[in-house]
Amino acid sequence: MSHCAATELTGDTYTRRFDKGPTGDTLIVNMGPQHPSTHGVLRVIIELDGEYILRAEPVLGYVHRMHEKMGEVKSFTQYLPNMGRVDYLHAMAWNWAYVGAVEKLGGVEVPERAEYLRVIATELGRISSHLVWWGAYLLDLGAFTPIMYAFDDREIILDLLQIITGSRLTYCYFRFGGVIADVTPAFVSGLTEFLARFKSRLPMYKDLVTDNAILRKRCEEIGVIDVDMARRYGATGPVLRGSGVAYDTRRAEPYGIYDRFDFEIPVFPEGDAMARYMVRMREMEESVKIIEQALAQMPGGEHLSAKAPKPAWKPGVGEAYFAVEGARGKIGVYVVSDGTKNPYRVKLRAPSYCNLSLFPELAQGVILADAVSIMGSLDLVIPEIDR
Amino acid sequence: MPDMNALLAGIPAELTRLILALVALMVFIGLNGLALVWVERKVAGHVQRRPGPYEVGPFGLIQPIVDAVKLVAKQLATPAGADKFLYWLAPLLSFLPIFLLFIPIPFSKNLVGLDTNLGILLILAFAGLNVLALCLAGWGQNNKWGLLGAGRAVAQSVAYEIPLLLAVLAVSFQTGSLSLTEITAKQGAWPWQWNIVVQPLAFFLYFICAVAETNRAPFDLPEAESELTAGFHTEYSGMGFGLFFLAEYANMIVVCSVATVLFLGGWQGPIEPGWWWFLIKMYALLVVIIWFRWTYPRVRFDQLLNLNWKWLLPLSMVNLLATAFAVKLFA
Amino acid sequence: MSAIFDDFPVPGKQVPGDFAKTGQSLSIFLAPAGIVAAARYMKDRQYFIEDVTGLDLAEGFCALYHFAHFEKPGRVTLRVLASRENPAIPSITGVYQGAEWHERETRDFFGIIFEGNPNDGPLLLADEDVAPPLLKDDAKRAVLQKAWPYEAMGVNPVPAAKPAPAAAKPATPATEVTK
Repeated sequence: MSHCAATELTGDTYTRRFDKGPTGDTLIVNMGPQHPSTHGVLRVIIELDGEYILRAEPVLGYVHRMHEKMGEVKSFTQYLPNMGRVDYLHAMAWNWAYVGAVEKLGGVEVPERAEYLRVIATELGRISSHLVWWGAYLLDLGAFTPIMYAFDDREIILDLLQIITGSRLTYCYFRFGGVIADVTPAFVSGLTEFLARFKSRLPMYKDLVTDNAILRKRCEEIGVIDVDMARRYGATGPVLRGSGVAYDTRRAEPYGIYDRFDFEIPVFPEGDAMARYMVRMREMEESVKIIEQALAQMPGGEHLSAKAPKPAWKPGVGEAYFAVEGARGKIGVYVVSDGTKNPYRVKLRAPSYCNLSLFPELAQGVILADAVSIMGSLDLVIPEIDR
Repeated sequence: MPDMNALLAGIPAELTRLILALVALMVFIGLNGLALVWVERKVAGHVQRRPGPYEVGPFGLIQPIVDAVKLVAKQLATPAGADKFLYWLAPLLSFLPIFLLFIPIPFSKNLVGLDTNLGILLILAFAGLNVLALCLAGWGQNNKWGLLGAGRAVAQSVAYEIPLLLAVLAVSFQTGSLSLTEITAKQGAWPWQWNIVVQPLAFFLYFICAVAETNRAPFDLPEAESELTAGFHTEYSGMGFGLFFLAEYANMIVVCSVATVLFLGGWQGPIEPGWWWFLIKMYALLVVIIWFRWTYPRVRFDQLLNLNWKWLLPLSMVNLLATAFAVKLFA
Repeated sequence: MSAIFDDFPVPGKQVPGDFAKTGQSLSIFLAPAGIVAAARYMKDRQYFIEDVTGLDLAEGFCALYHFAHFEKPGRVTLRVLASRENPAIPSITGVYQGAEWHERETRDFFGIIFEGNPNDGPLLLADEDVAPPLLKDDAKRAVLQKAWPYEAMGVNPVPAAKPAPAAAKPATPATEVTK
């Protein structure tokens, strides 16, 4: 029989490094880099004893594009479109993180209306990202229908954001000192309609999917993350809030005008996949609330500061770290400038990177089907991890 | 020259009838397989708020034929390192026994392949051959994911056969026969005269086990797309995959036919009993199975086995005992 | 804004920062030898690790460790300088397991060796011998040469950069860390 014995492994260096010699009756398989449920080009080498995982090791770099080097060879303004490509599902948040860091560095003011526009765009992006996560997670678990409904709702968001940004997915909406375009009446009316429709869809999702006994069995008590583990790996976002810690960058390191809005931070204490699921479902509801308040409160004014820097701008020597709450967790951008028109260093701190790094410890002793459920509940976007 | 008349007269009538039945069943299974593919894709589409196939032919009716032509036209590729004999034996072994499963099923009062008094036994016995086919497929394709899928499939099939058997036995006890024609004949034309009214638990258990035996969602772990790429048929493409695919649909038709015969009165029906009632009931059950697939997520493997051993098996035994008791008391 | 840690276990200089302007409320300059104890100190005070990254400076390779807290506001940055000749820093994976990936990435990009990191393979870059991509040349490093006063704080172990055209600096021998 030609199944590989552990002694005669071929394969690349990662496989050889993973396998430290004959280990008896275990099976070493690769999940990915082409696999329906690794959410992108991720490869996980797994050592299986029957159906139980003994060791798991993610191998990264399949989508590595060296964004941090691009940050050094491009000018500050030229680097803006890159942010949409880091995490294309919540591109608005990455836009904001980079723009916020550079604005801190250069001391650029943002008009009030632009702040509201930023909030609306980012929260819409959050809803869109969570819808994709929800559909894809249930697809992993074998339910083929919810993703169709999720994409149905998301299509409207994409159409709305196309009105103001011109893009459907990889947005480059933010500029230093504001945003590139104001909203149109078509956008506002479309958005109001969408919010009403979305609020009526959420109860259906709850009845059909969230309360489904099979889903509950697949998610409850799976992949329990305790607070100490989250600290050791730097897990943030719904992964952390599903473990009982009410840490949200919008409240912990306030930025923009989030302090003007009345919204809750959903927290569930169980720490399992179901808790993370519930956090994201509730976050969608909270985002709807924020958008409604922003639409109501938004003042008139300009969408881009009159004193916004020109494209070939040099912010001056300094460093700045700016953090934003993305759909996956805390996005951090650290910029160092040496006074020239290109950054000296751009460091992108991706939340999925830290969230995935706890997977090897979490997956030990877990049954393979549960590993799929755990990875789905972590909400990974591989381009963000690889950058 | 040998006497043709004498030769033909020497062939037993039973054999002729059997051969004719097999040919008719091949046509039936072929046509129904195609129809079922279309029904599945349309139901899936509408459940997911999209139209399903509508380009090829009116309402996409020609789509399954075109797909079949495509599958047949594909290259018959064998993966490197696969055991060639086992690799190609597996889909054949999965598909060919299906014809035997249909032989004892009465489509109408006189439309039955072989009116044997051991109909149920025949069906259950040959249904078990599918397990062997899965084993061979998993092993022969030289792929670790396939092996995992086959292991799961075998465990699942073997486990769910038992409550299925016990549920069917309960009906047999009640009727006093293993012959499908007799079981159908003993039921009446109206719904309250069907066995489902007398044996609702048995029907419920049978249906769940049937969905599990045919590897349909929510019990479709052996082909769990998102976990094992494609489980036991990962390395199959073209006609090999086509045979597995067809075998799965044919199995679905078999279990629904048996359910119709055992619990829903078979060809009996109000106004005008006949094969049309049989087909209507069978298709109703098929649509329900298809509906399940597009609604529910997948059950995890150990939960699947737990469900069987801790719930279905005890319930089916209780049902059987209660039936035996009732038969003894009220016979 | 974090106050200074009074009982910090390792010799180093703590410099409060302007959080509104730089996003960092406290910077602690350390020698490489003290990073593990410092990490343990942060862990005991329940800080979580945000990231570990690198910076190619005239003074040497700087490794930056960003920490934040679930309850307290502010960000603490530990800055460790390693010489260009021997860019070795002890790994903190014993304390913060999440640092393993961050350290491997920093090694890929800069060539800093984190001693004690359980996995010595590249994380993001391909497994061929590529020069670390984020290195700078001397002219580029010159501008930021005195941005962070590492030498004034007695944080070793750097032989200074070769004389840059704009700011000529005599080479100084590596000094021992005194307190």
